Order: sequence, then C-alpha cells, then structure tokens
Amino acid sequence: MVFLTLSCLIRSRGPDRYWKVQEVLKHARHFRGRKNRCYSLAVKAVRRAFVYATTARRLKKRYMRTLWITRIAAASREHGMKYPALMHNLTKTSVQLNRRVISDLAITEPRTFLSLAKLAQARQQEGFHAALGDGKEPSGVFSRIVLLQ
Amino acid sequence: MTSRGTPSRFLQSVLQNGIGRYVCQLKRVSIIFSKNAQSSLGVREFIEEGVVDYAKKNPATVVYVSPQSCRIPKIVAEYLNGNVREEIVTSKTSPQISELLTKLTNQSGLDIIRIRKPFHTDNPSIQGQWHPFTNRPPSIGPIRPQKQDAE
Repeated sequence: MVFLTLSCLIRSRGPDRYWKVQEVLKHARHFRGRKNRCYSLAVKAVRRAFVYATTARRLKKRYMRTLWITRIAAASREHGMKYPALMHNLTKTSVQLNRRVISDLAITEPRTFLSLAKLAQARQQEGFHAALGDGKEPSGVFSRIVLLQ
Repeated sequence: MTSRGTPSRFLQSVLQNGIGRYVCQLKRVSIIFSKNAQSSLGVREFIEEGVVDYAKKNPATVVYVSPQSCRIPKIVAEYLNGNVREEIVTSKTSPQISELLTKLTNQSGLDIIRIRKPFHTDNPSIQGQWHPFTNRPPSIGPIRPQKQDAE
C-alpha cells in the first residue's frame, strides 16, 4: 500500500532558517518587549534602528559642535567675554584651535583657557582703539609701523 | 549596526606595552594547509621560502606548520590575552601571506571592534580639572552668583 497524500504534504524546506533569523535577532537583543524575541516584530524594529543610526551619524557632528560652543561660551563668560567675541578675536590673532580643542582646554586646563581669553580681550581692545581712536600709537610702544628713513 | 547593539571598547594597550620594553603579543601561529591542493599553493611557497626567516625574526612567537588534508588553508594566530584569530588564506600568494603575518604580528590581541575614541590619556588634566570654584575669588560670606564686571 502506498500512502500518496501524506507524502505530498511533507516538504523539505531550506536548511538555514535558524541562522537567517538569528542574524536579525542578534541586532535586537537589547530591545524592550517582544521585539527582542519574535522575528516579525524584530525585523521592523531592527530596520528602524538602522535608519536612526544612519541619520544620527550626520546629526552627531552638529550636536557635538553645539555642545562645544555652549561650553566655550560658558567658560568665556566666566572671564567676562562672550563667545562670538572670543572666537572672532582668536581667529584675528591667527590662533587656529578648533572648538573641540578649546572646549577641552576649558575643562581640563582652566589657566590655559584664561590666557586665551586674555589674548582675545587684548586683541579686542586693539581693534577698538584702531577703529575709534586717533590713529596714534599706544603709549609705550616704540613703533608699530616701520618708517623708511 | 547600531553603536549600542554592537560591542565597542576604548583605545588601550595591553599592560602599557611599549612604554618600557615592547613584548610581541602574538603567542602562537599555526599554519594549516594541504600538501596537494591547489588553494594552498601560496602557503606552500611561503613555507618553502619565508617561514624560517619569519620565525627567526620573531623569536617570541612559536610557529607551527601542520599539513593536513583540508580544503581551505588557514593561519590561526593566538595572542597572549587568549584571543584567537583565524585568517583564511586560500589562493593567496606568498608575499601576501607574509604581509598578513606581519599584520598579525603587529596587532595586540585586543578585540577588533569599534574604538570609541582614537585617543586615551590616564592624566587628562594637568592644571587641574575645572570645578565651579576654579575661577572664583575666595570669599568669606555666603556663596552668591558672581557679578560680571564688564572689563
């Protein structure tokens, strides 16, 4: 006797469903709820997580820069200067430190940051004198302009 | 590949290797290859020419050469911290294999995962880290917000 109908119902499927499923679930293990266990929920959640990770790579650079700017602004206000004045005068004195380095200095080397703030202040005062003053040289300075004799 | 979902570590060296003397972190290299297969041709060439020089140049590393009947030739590198790294060298030429071996020699055995920062210091602050009283003059009275005198 040959059982025809039962043998038609049994199919041998692919051999590696387990590993294909684990490839997705391994990225979902730290999620909350059933999406860390159940494949259909995990697929959607993992895709979302990857999309967020991709977009966040671009945004992280912006966030870090605003964080550095906030910190430099707070540190410079402690010394009586504002952030735009500090950065503009530092670039005018050709100090080419970027915001990351300056914020790290403000945190770990407060005296160095104070010296940078004083440098920017001095340059600011020079700028004011040049713009508003008489055109005369400051007292005590021999000559800033080399005169051909 | 989220940063929270994949493991990451900070930049470090194994026990400050290199500050005093440098210890090669590669403990053992096993070259598994086949004597007759086509894929192990480069490995066999390397074993004819380069293995002895490599072993002499790196006296701290033990080199095992094991011909087996295998389809894919491998180089198994074991490090002093216990990590094992397997590299498959099918159809690689002898200079490529020696390049690979120098790369494995120069590695420390730390995991090859995302490094959070490309720098590390044990002493990040020399002048003393900032705290809210760093730039304040010492005061006797109660602590109040400072008056900003515009200079």
